[in-house]
Amino acid sequence: MTREDEKALLARIARLLDTPEHLGHPLYEALEALYLHHRAQQEQLERMITISDRYQQLAMEARQVTQTRYERALRRQQKLSRISDGYQALMRERNQALHEASTHDSLTGLPNRRLIDEWLQRLDGSRCRYTLALLDIDHFKAINDRYGHDVGDRLLVAVSSTMRKALRESDLCGRWGGEEFLLLFTDTALDEAGDIVERLRQQLANVSIRHDNQRLSVTLSAGLSERRDTESHTDTLKRADRALLKAKHDGRDRSLADAKP
Amino acid sequence: MGSKITMISDLDIAGGQSTPAIQSHWGSGRLAMQGDSYPENSYELFDQVIGWVRHFLDEESRPLHLELDLVYLNTSSVKAMMDIFDLLEEAHLQGRQVSVEWRYDPRNERIAELADEFREDCSYPFAITPAAAPA
Repeated sequence: MTREDEKALLARIARLLDTPEHLGHPLYEALEALYLHHRAQQEQLERMITISDRYQQLAMEARQVTQTRYERALRRQQKLSRISDGYQALMRERNQALHEASTHDSLTGLPNRRLIDEWLQRLDGSRCRYTLALLDIDHFKAINDRYGHDVGDRLLVAVSSTMRKALRESDLCGRWGGEEFLLLFTDTALDEAGDIVERLRQQLANVSIRHDNQRLSVTLSAGLSERRDTESHTDTLKRADRALLKAKHDGRDRSLADAKP
Repeated sequence: MGSKITMISDLDIAGGQSTPAIQSHWGSGRLAMQGDSYPENSYELFDQVIGWVRHFLDEESRPLHLELDLVYLNTSSVKAMMDIFDLLEEAHLQGRQVSVEWRYDPRNERIAELADEFREDCSYPFAITPAAAPA
């Protein structure tokens, strides 16, 4: 029965009950009671439906609020992670820059003594064959005294730059001290390293900087030593230093190798 | 509504290696923070700041201006700053005048990029400006 049919039936019954000649009919009272009971039940049903609808509406709204809240929280969380990741990346870059600064000489950009020490210590643990060369600019103090430290610094920069370009990929060079440089030739015998250093010294002697309309250039002395068996780098270094001292003593502008055992 | 305003005491926190320096000025409606922020207990630190901002926005109708020279922020500090910016946004949507100026060292553009990420959901004036002198 459709809603319309039901309405029509109820209207028909209401009309019958409203007709005065039906009063007193044996079915009249029963029909009236049934009619009223049905109306009451119908009203109750409609109220229940309305309440149920309202509950559903509330539940839907609550779900929407939760959903909106959840989406907002998620968005916030994503933003937080994104920004936080950004700061972490920043910190990492800062650390890298600090590491770079702590292992390189700020004037020449060459690896500093700290980094060179790290390389050499690593080699101590291996059976790797290598040759060390210590190079020192001749009469550097006189240049500083005569022309000033900025001129000395410019010379250091020019020498470093040429040195870096002249060496092979596998060779390492660093600033060991004031005007002293250390070269590390791995897998290289003393003779071969000696040739490289000699060529390098000639190139460096041609490096010049301009100062007050004059060209200034320098010579370098070098001392070389090859690692003996598994000796520690401090021993190899000591022998290179001794060779350098002798090169200085013998008149500078030359390279000397520590005698083979 | 009474016109009585309850002021809370201004913040004046000296910065440390891991703590930003923080100053608030109730009278002029300004809050300033400088430096790195990765304190051991950032909630304790930022609860004061958030409390001050909330209180100012509740009690006053005058504009509020933030001056930030922040550099590094850890995650909980990032969250605290987001909370503060949200408070400002809420106030702004209710018609309040609020503004932020985030200054950064031009040698560190990354800070500006991160400030820009913070700014994303803010509809009030939020300037990111290179500072003349590093903080």
